[in-house]
Amino acid sequence: MRGTKALRPWDWAFPPKPVTHREVLSAVPSEPTGRPPLLMVHGLAHAAWCFGENWVPAAAEAGFPSYAVSLRGHGGSAGARHLRRTLSRDYVHDVLQTITELPEPPVLVGHSHGALIAQLVADRYPLRGLVLLAPAPLHSAVGDLLAIAKDRPADALGAVVGRTLSMEPEILFEGLDPQTARRYADRTGPESPLVQWELLLRRTRGPVRCPVLVVGTPQDRLVRAVDVERTAADFGVEPIWFPGMGHDLMLDRGWEDVLATVLDFAGHLPAWGTGVPR
Amino acid sequence: MAERKVVDRGGAWCVVGSGPHGLSALKALLQHGIEADGFERAADLGGNWNFGAPTSRVYESTHLISSKPFTQFPDFPMPDSYPDYPSHRQVKEYFDRYADHFGLRDRITFGAEVVGAEPVDDGAAWLVTVRTGRRSTTYRYAGLVVANGHNWNPKIPAYDGLADFAGTVLHSADYKGPDVLRGRRVLVVGAGNTGCDVAVESAQNAARTWHSTRRGYYYNPKFLMGKPSDQMADSLLALRVPLALRRALFSTSLKITVGDFAKYGLKRPDHRFFETHPIVNQQLVYYVGQGDIAPVDDVARFDADGAVFADGSRADVDVVVFCTGYLVTFPFLEQEWLNWQGDHPRLFLQMFTPAFDNLVVSGLIQPDSGQWTLAHWQGVLLARVAESLRSDPVRARGFLSRAPQEAGRRFSAGTHYKDSTRHYYEVAHQDYLAALQDAIHELEQVR
Repeated sequence: MRGTKALRPWDWAFPPKPVTHREVLSAVPSEPTGRPPLLMVHGLAHAAWCFGENWVPAAAEAGFPSYAVSLRGHGGSAGARHLRRTLSRDYVHDVLQTITELPEPPVLVGHSHGALIAQLVADRYPLRGLVLLAPAPLHSAVGDLLAIAKDRPADALGAVVGRTLSMEPEILFEGLDPQTARRYADRTGPESPLVQWELLLRRTRGPVRCPVLVVGTPQDRLVRAVDVERTAADFGVEPIWFPGMGHDLMLDRGWEDVLATVLDFAGHLPAWGTGVPR
Repeated sequence: MAERKVVDRGGAWCVVGSGPHGLSALKALLQHGIEADGFERAADLGGNWNFGAPTSRVYESTHLISSKPFTQFPDFPMPDSYPDYPSHRQVKEYFDRYADHFGLRDRITFGAEVVGAEPVDDGAAWLVTVRTGRRSTTYRYAGLVVANGHNWNPKIPAYDGLADFAGTVLHSADYKGPDVLRGRRVLVVGAGNTGCDVAVESAQNAARTWHSTRRGYYYNPKFLMGKPSDQMADSLLALRVPLALRRALFSTSLKITVGDFAKYGLKRPDHRFFETHPIVNQQLVYYVGQGDIAPVDDVARFDADGAVFADGSRADVDVVVFCTGYLVTFPFLEQEWLNWQGDHPRLFLQMFTPAFDNLVVSGLIQPDSGQWTLAHWQGVLLARVAESLRSDPVRARGFLSRAPQEAGRRFSAGTHYKDSTRHYYEVAHQDYLAALQDAIHELEQVR
């Protein structure tokens, strides 16, 4: 890890292009509850719907103002035409833009590649808390690609040549009935090849001062458990495991338990501005 | 005399001013777990950008002259819906949203003027006296951040005969829009960015316009090859292009797009590119070329009917607008506390004074770029200092002990600024930010 980064000349010189429309699904408790807002960020080829399906309404029911954003080129957000030219930094921009529209600093919940984006956002913005679900690693996903190549060589090769990583039901889910699993898998869309290739790079971040929760599943067919462990260790925390679930922890059978863990974490955070450095 | 009652705020810090630097300081302190109270003279936040308030110096048509990426707070980007160069109304709305998002508004007392500050307990704390209406209250704080701005106290140079001038005399501080110029003969003095804006508005509204400047300047366009020109400049920095080549590229591009300023009747710059604070105005040269603005020499003196210029020519005018800048003023602080030498303070990183550990100035910078990215990082640095003074005083004092020898060090990225009061606070943004970043790393407490 490096120090706090103030100098970002590439961002000043070549800022990400603005997006004309961003899809944000939300559910907000009717009365103020004092709970921090949750902002959920999806991974590769997914969109806000993957959180909108279960987590957004359930978290709001539990008193948390809940939001899920579709990154550019995904779901109902604009930018599909430029998807092949989109970089991770554009996604970071999209999340920061969404954060500035929230009434107060949120707990950022990132899934898979969205968790990698969330870590890069935490490097720039003082989050209330950071939740990483089956996080893609900052330290290069070469190992994950090789693991995929061992199981499903065609998928890995496809990703290398720029095709969207396969999101078949058996890759994402362990416990769903086949129809539901199929329905969810069919909702996934294309991904930027540049963003997929960037996963192989080693990224760095500065110190993150907010509390961090890392969640994984040993049955994950996209992100290896060792990578989840390493990400957690980088933040000095232990991952929480949900055995028997697939990569899509917010959709697979048992999502209620994962959400309960996340809400327990989000409900016990120090108030923004009074947190002491860890 | 009855003993003054003091409200003890314990370990809290005081932030004077709620412009961008006051807001970012307040936010950074809170973010670092330091209690902080803000005081604002006006009824609302925004400082200079609170248009219509007595503290504001912007005029109706003011737009930013630096584009969004380096102008915005890096952790709170301006909305995608804003243009490259937002208007002052959008800027105010942006600050409002920033303050609300981070819960700063409740921490600020509005309509509260800081009228006195004095160190107590051998500099361990500050007594800050605040006047709200007719009431005065004195608070005790562990530290004091001064972010009262440096563009509010108008400076008008002394001229012979100005008292005899029969027309209207106005400082740009009180210029809100072109109504005062309409149909009249106007002399605009000064070629800062404000002077150029006012000269252009005068060209569009007045009967005649003269524009008096001390020297020739480079009038930069807002866009170059379809890109905001400051982003163009930062592309060269990102590519680590050396100063000499950047200078050559910029003067060449100006030569190609605008040409020789002397051909328009303007003075030829007497200095190289980057040696004066950049002027960004695409319209001035256009109106000079159309004959709507007559460029004239330095003012030598005034008489009842108008002005006589250094070259002996004269102009009969109805209105003079002085766009001659501002005096840096800290009405509630002793000059020696801020290490004033001659006519301006000499500070370490343009923030910290050798005299006190817990007195910090934020915003005493004039960058060749947008400002509020620097406001953000000044806030982070001062919060790190406040945090370290509390939890690791040895490290904090080690850092601050460099203040005496480093006070007054400039961050010009190798350029020699033209000797002028205008450049006392000038910084090259990349150079200055690198120094702030080093300081922040030195005080990093989290791994």
